[in-house]
Amino acid sequence: MNRQGLEGYAGGMEARFPGRIRRVGYNHNEIHFHLEDPRDAPGICGHVHASMKARLATVVCTDERRHGNGFVIRYVFEKEGEDAFIFIIVPLGHGNSFPSIILHVPGASLYEREIRDMFGLVPAGNPDTRPLVLHEHWPGDAYPLRKDFRLGTKAGRREGVYPFLRVEGDGICEIPVGPVHAGIIEPGHFRFSVLGENIINLETRLFYAHKGIEKLAESMAPEEIVRLAERISGDESVANSTAYCQAVEKILEIRVPERAKKIRTVFAELERAYNHVGTLGGMATDAGFAFGAARMGILKERLMSLNEALCGSRILFGVNRIGGVVPDIGQENKELILGRIGVILRDFDKVAGLLGSKSSFMDRLKDAGRIPKKAARDLGIVGVAARCAGIDLDTRRDHPYAGYNIRNGRTPQEVVRDQIEMEKRAGDAMARYEIRINEVRDSFGIILGLLDLDGDGLCGEVPERMEPYQSALGYAESHRGQTLHWVMTGEDNSIFRYKVRTASFCNWQIMGHCVSSDIVPDFPLVNKSLDLSYSGNDL
Amino acid sequence: MGGSGDILGNRLEARAKDGLVRFPCGACPSVAGRYEEIGSELREKIAKMFGRSLAIREVDAGSCNGCEIEISALNNPVYDIERFGIRFVSSPRHADVLLVTGPVSRNMEAALRRTYEAIPSPKIVVAVGACAADGGIFGDTYATAGGVGRVVPADVYIPGCPPRPELLLQGLLLAINRLRQEPGGRGQASSGLARS
Repeated sequence: MNRQGLEGYAGGMEARFPGRIRRVGYNHNEIHFHLEDPRDAPGICGHVHASMKARLATVVCTDERRHGNGFVIRYVFEKEGEDAFIFIIVPLGHGNSFPSIILHVPGASLYEREIRDMFGLVPAGNPDTRPLVLHEHWPGDAYPLRKDFRLGTKAGRREGVYPFLRVEGDGICEIPVGPVHAGIIEPGHFRFSVLGENIINLETRLFYAHKGIEKLAESMAPEEIVRLAERISGDESVANSTAYCQAVEKILEIRVPERAKKIRTVFAELERAYNHVGTLGGMATDAGFAFGAARMGILKERLMSLNEALCGSRILFGVNRIGGVVPDIGQENKELILGRIGVILRDFDKVAGLLGSKSSFMDRLKDAGRIPKKAARDLGIVGVAARCAGIDLDTRRDHPYAGYNIRNGRTPQEVVRDQIEMEKRAGDAMARYEIRINEVRDSFGIILGLLDLDGDGLCGEVPERMEPYQSALGYAESHRGQTLHWVMTGEDNSIFRYKVRTASFCNWQIMGHCVSSDIVPDFPLVNKSLDLSYSGNDL
Repeated sequence: MGGSGDILGNRLEARAKDGLVRFPCGACPSVAGRYEEIGSELREKIAKMFGRSLAIREVDAGSCNGCEIEISALNNPVYDIERFGIRFVSSPRHADVLLVTGPVSRNMEAALRRTYEAIPSPKIVVAVGACAADGGIFGDTYATAGGVGRVVPADVYIPGCPPRPELLLQGLLLAINRLRQEPGGRGQASSGLARS
């Protein structure tokens, strides 16, 4: 969005909250409102969320005590339908507590609990006082993201019990599952309260894979963090490294060559495609249809071997770098992509047709794991999970980046058609299945459309030095949804703060809501249909 | 991978003093394209030593899920690891091998230890990936133990970020070979395993 549009927001806010906004700043498509008093935050955030129709995209806390600001909290909102991010910036001064905004913005709860664990600041008014990131064995007086906490600290362990919500009544049983699951999947704990087979309540306990990524980044060189970003979630390596690189490129005002942008996009879509295919196979497995799973498994393997032929890594590690990309796509690889995708797409259509014609498979998907649209909106759900419930969000279109140019490709008739399509979506596993099928085809279409590579630069000019304490937001749409990375530079070419919020962090919240009318045996299928990352959530 | 050698390198040298098995990797030219060959050898060994089937319990101890993608790929119709008598089991009580990925996050330490203890002896522990070796890019921090060997006794480390399917197979082969070649090396392990 241009400066003029953003200034329009500033005028509206200043008129609505006279004297409460100390300063307004601009940074590309971001508008920053610096507040005077933390007590104004709930009301102003509530206004931005409800009246300005902006979803809470992330909440970033920084420890700026050494610079005399105390702790600072940035509430980042994403304006619906506009390429604009609205920051509400609240300096806490010397206080160790901040007012909770959850009565106005329900989706803020997890962020506030995260801030309490990592910074030791108490969200006054948030009723959920349980630990989130650091489990019950963590001592109560150590806060990893404070600047005086050393990365290598080995904190002692203490005894503790995590209080799950208890459901009481005749015949209610609890089923504890995890963190070690039956299959080859990531660690997490699910606590079902059931009456017979019916799920009465599901509580998800995560952060078993917490590796201290944000703290670690503060000790690494900016170009090393690209490799770290790839490993936030191995299957989202291109999306996360793209978001990180774009944040740094925005700060340093690096001009990424057109060719590099297109190559980045080709790899991003290859990533989306191979993962969607994998998820479709996983859904077939969890519905007990082994043949469909096997066929999708073969296609995923072919896509992964195409990945390897193009960049040397089967899961697309090593594609991005600050300022551009590492691998080129020459004439030979272009032909390889054209040839392989043609064959894969033909087989994919066959397998999709086969799955769609099996009523025993499709019946399992229908009505399973229905996401309530209101909950999805309130909690700020993104990606396939939002789109399946009729919420039309797609970072590639809403905030065009890299080689994406989706909005301009739609005629008004197509826009209306898409809107009608959105309204029809039921939010169940069937809707997610259909969306994934369509998105695989779209991905291949986007890739083929981008192969007309011109220019020859793979990397823009990267300045030797970075100005300290500059910040920017980077974003990308992975196969799971929007991933958002906020970067602030530090002294001596370091990174002062690296805040990551993947789609999984938003979307795990909906799990408990969408299985409340399901039976336990449907849970694996519902879980797979949402396809969330544990590592990407836990960081 | 461009310019990433230092932070992702498979720093297994550090482990050599423990007498642990290691083999060079990176791009692993020694195993590239040898999946079938390694698999056949593995099948023969499993037939002799494990009564034809080897059961694996996999535990993700805080990996980025990259290793899980490759381990899962072993089950797809292309690699189809069950042909060689290898299967992944749900319960540690049924397992011969504990396959662990990740640097062992602090929040997974207890679960990993309990899974290890639940596996009946003799048992083999295989650590998969650069993180499982020494913490990899995630290192040894407030949130990680800095490698599987810090939490449970690992027998074999498979390097790579992530290791390819054939390298995973090669690591399993190495692990069961080691049981035969070093009787007494792991207490009662090898005497209990060798059935031929």
